[in-house]
Amino acid sequence: MPATPLPIAAGIGLRAPHVAQIRAERPAIAWLEVHSENYFVDGGLALTALDAIRSDYAVSLHGVGLSLGSADPLDRAHLSKLRDLADRIEPAAVSEHLCWGHVDGRHLNDLLPLPFTDEALDIVCDRVDKVQAALARPILVENVSAYLRFGCDAMAEWEFVAAVASRTGCKLLFDVNNVYVNAVNHGFDPKAYLAAIPADAVAEIHLAGFDASGACLIDSHGTHVAPPVWVLYRETIERFGPQPTLIEWDTDIPALAVLLDEAAEAQRMLEACDAVAA
Amino acid sequence: MQSLRELQRAFRAATLFGDSAALASLDLVGGSLQPAARIAVYRNNILGNYRKALAATYPVVRRLVGESFFAAVVEHFVHDYPSTRGDVNRYGSEFAMFLASYAPARDLAYLPDVARLEWAIDQASIAADAPPLDIDALAGVPAAAQGLLRFALHPSLQLVVSVHPILRIWQVNQPDHVGEDRVDLSEGGDALLVQRGRGGVCIERIGEGERAWLAAFAENATLADATALATAAEPGFDLAAALRHRVVAQTIVGFRAPPSPASGKPT
Repeated sequence: MPATPLPIAAGIGLRAPHVAQIRAERPAIAWLEVHSENYFVDGGLALTALDAIRSDYAVSLHGVGLSLGSADPLDRAHLSKLRDLADRIEPAAVSEHLCWGHVDGRHLNDLLPLPFTDEALDIVCDRVDKVQAALARPILVENVSAYLRFGCDAMAEWEFVAAVASRTGCKLLFDVNNVYVNAVNHGFDPKAYLAAIPADAVAEIHLAGFDASGACLIDSHGTHVAPPVWVLYRETIERFGPQPTLIEWDTDIPALAVLLDEAAEAQRMLEACDAVAA
Repeated sequence: MQSLRELQRAFRAATLFGDSAALASLDLVGGSLQPAARIAVYRNNILGNYRKALAATYPVVRRLVGESFFAAVVEHFVHDYPSTRGDVNRYGSEFAMFLASYAPARDLAYLPDVARLEWAIDQASIAADAPPLDIDALAGVPAAAQGLLRFALHPSLQLVVSVHPILRIWQVNQPDHVGEDRVDLSEGGDALLVQRGRGGVCIERIGEGERAWLAAFAENATLADATALATAAEPGFDLAAALRHRVVAQTIVGFRAPPSPASGKPT
């Protein structure tokens, strides 16, 4: 099956508790996204299930562990597994995070914040170039939530993100929740962020819920999309045009119907945006 | 100014090891939240990710020791055995070895072997698939050459041996277990075969002869040599029954015959 672009519609993140139900019921979902690393396996039931789902749905591979922003060299073994998986699945999109996760070969297995410096920008762009060359396709790069900033920052987050896209030709996976979380945590106006990103660079949008119970907002992916994030989502699609939009839910995973309801809300907003533009 | 590598090293030291000099060097800025509180968010996220990943691979170990003890074990383990890959799903290959040397768990002598069983289950779940053995081809091997056959085992096959009754411990600690949940630790050890079938990973208790027989194939032994080892380990070892069972169960999925005398070519 040839890879086709993601449909400009709402999809959901495919998580293990829903796999059997989706295979059995084949609900009307525009597309599905999986975490690439969950399929870095030689065989087994999960991979068989993904093959079956791929024959019914457009699938996006979303990586959490390639670490585009590490000072360490690119992890070639990891990249090779990603390439093998992409060859097998022929995904509609391949995405990674704008973060780092290992140093001196020791992994922390989290989406860690980069300093927005010229050195970090050079390193990220070099890694994105190499990944795109290895996969022979443009990748999508996602902005992440951050709970701290570094004194050495030489530019704003949106300048860094925009520069990565313009220098490498990669597309952006614009995570609206992460922009909102960072705007609250670091005190900036998310409209400035939207205005700084080139309109044609965004090719996918993520929506998720955050945890507001602590001293700063945390990107928990464990609850509904918050009302102010829906507002920012509407502004985002007004700015970038309707884009493939994904509902992510990774902890305290609810019934599939709850995810489908969230996706339906995103779909309504996409269609409303289309109607205004038309 | 710190290089990116220096910053990332300091970040790791500050989050995982609570290194206050490293934290100061990061020069964290902005907002009302103190740097220590900000780095603590990452520390909690990182350790939380590892707890979640290791609990997914080692659910019975976690259940045996309880939530708070498990959290302490994970933190020590992460310090001693840093993750070496970006895929956290496969983190923890040294967990059994670590538990064997972890003093607070010394009273639970069976715990490392339970961890070895759970790692074997995890490995079996992700191993390559394999087509079944070609029975007709096997039947075509001349009787005189049969002793020199070398069998290929299913890629998911794992053999786990313990002096403790780890299968019973594993079974009574499954979420869906009903009935008696006491285990007599003196009831003896287990030789276990772990393998993925069509429905998922299965665990089977096997005899010492069969264990020796399969372990010999894993080491590329011939059928004659493997059978000699099996019979030495268990005088009543029934070759015909074991062969039939293991072909049907797709534990044995292939074979290499010795070069035929007619061709004279080595393989």
